[in-house]
Amino acid sequence: MDIQTLARPRSIGEALELIQKKGGVPVAGGVWLKMHPRPLALAVDLSGLGLEYIRDKGEFIELGAMTTYRELETSSLLAERFGPAFPAALGRIVGVQLRNMVTVGGTVAGKYGFSDLNTLLMALGARLALAGDGEREIEGFFLDAGDKPPLIEKILLPARGRAAFESMRVSGGDFSVLNASAAYVDGSWRVALGARPAASRLCREAMRLLGAEPRPAEPQVRAAARAAQEEGSFSGDLRASAEYRRTISAALVERAIKECAR
Amino acid sequence: MTIAFRVNGVEERFDCSPGDMLSDLLRSAGHVEVKKGCGTGNCGACTVLLDGKPILSCSFLALRAEGREVTTVRGIEEEAAVYAAFVTAEGADQCGFCGPGLALAVHALRSEKRHPSEEEIRSYLAGNLCRCSGYAGQLRAIAKYLEAADAE
Repeated sequence: MDIQTLARPRSIGEALELIQKKGGVPVAGGVWLKMHPRPLALAVDLSGLGLEYIRDKGEFIELGAMTTYRELETSSLLAERFGPAFPAALGRIVGVQLRNMVTVGGTVAGKYGFSDLNTLLMALGARLALAGDGEREIEGFFLDAGDKPPLIEKILLPARGRAAFESMRVSGGDFSVLNASAAYVDGSWRVALGARPAASRLCREAMRLLGAEPRPAEPQVRAAARAAQEEGSFSGDLRASAEYRRTISAALVERAIKECAR
Repeated sequence: MTIAFRVNGVEERFDCSPGDMLSDLLRSAGHVEVKKGCGTGNCGACTVLLDGKPILSCSFLALRAEGREVTTVRGIEEEAAVYAAFVTAEGADQCGFCGPGLALAVHALRSEKRHPSEEEIRSYLAGNLCRCSGYAGQLRAIAKYLEAADAE
């Protein structure tokens, strides 16, 4: 890559200063940046800040922004609290090598439309803790393309909940054609569709129809899936047309809800 | 600038530019057993172990390796020779370009999970592409190799 200076700060304060005052570009896993290189006068390596952790804080769970996909996928804490949702969302992304590099913070900060993890985080109602600048709800963050905080320090998850993830892929390691996630947290449902191919969005009408019951009846689940299909916005790209995405959306949402309610 | 890290147990010093990728740095220092396939983080040919974990060296900034332990296929040479004999026995040894990365991924799989199922093997090795074999022969070889190695 064409990088003039690669700074390796050892504290969050130092990293923030390099990003805010010197115009440095933060580098998390660096894999997406490598695939879409641009000349950088100052790159700021975030790997020395101690942001690799998954912590049980009692009322919530903290994911350090530099925690890799593989750490999330194999975390016993996340498996205990959310069942197989994280391995379901992450286990088919390219290969173990890549998942040992890409990070949760880089994925959230990039607001990547193709992301599987972002759809699961939306369904779980994650919050983002920004270095030196309070918190963000993940939905508002994704909706506002202009919201580019200098540094995401950690991602906060509810302490527990049920969650499920579904995706449609052309082949195993490819990006999702469409993905869906459903979660039941603190007595309410959240449903998200992603890779539409734009970034994840909540399906509000589907969520309303599901109500507060942890195990909604079959007609209710079907109605919610149809609502998600109708309220969702989809477009076409090289993987699928908008029409194809809309058609399969109901099935993915239905499967995700049923898996979550099981 | 100069950086230092261990390669296969030996401390080495490297001249490194800020944007250098680990695969290029290793190859220019003579570690040509590290292969560069797609260069975009998809094929797994450039796999090395960083502190024991498999990563894609084509997409890893070399400066980040400072002070750490990198293992190439030369670092697991004896084990890789045993593994290679199983691949040969199944007739799955073709151009060999994916071999070093695959051998390291198999090593990493073994260190994480003993007696993996076929599904677990497939899942763990999904990031290592092979353009010759069609995978069936390799998969047979890997399953037999792991069975034999884990029985020891």
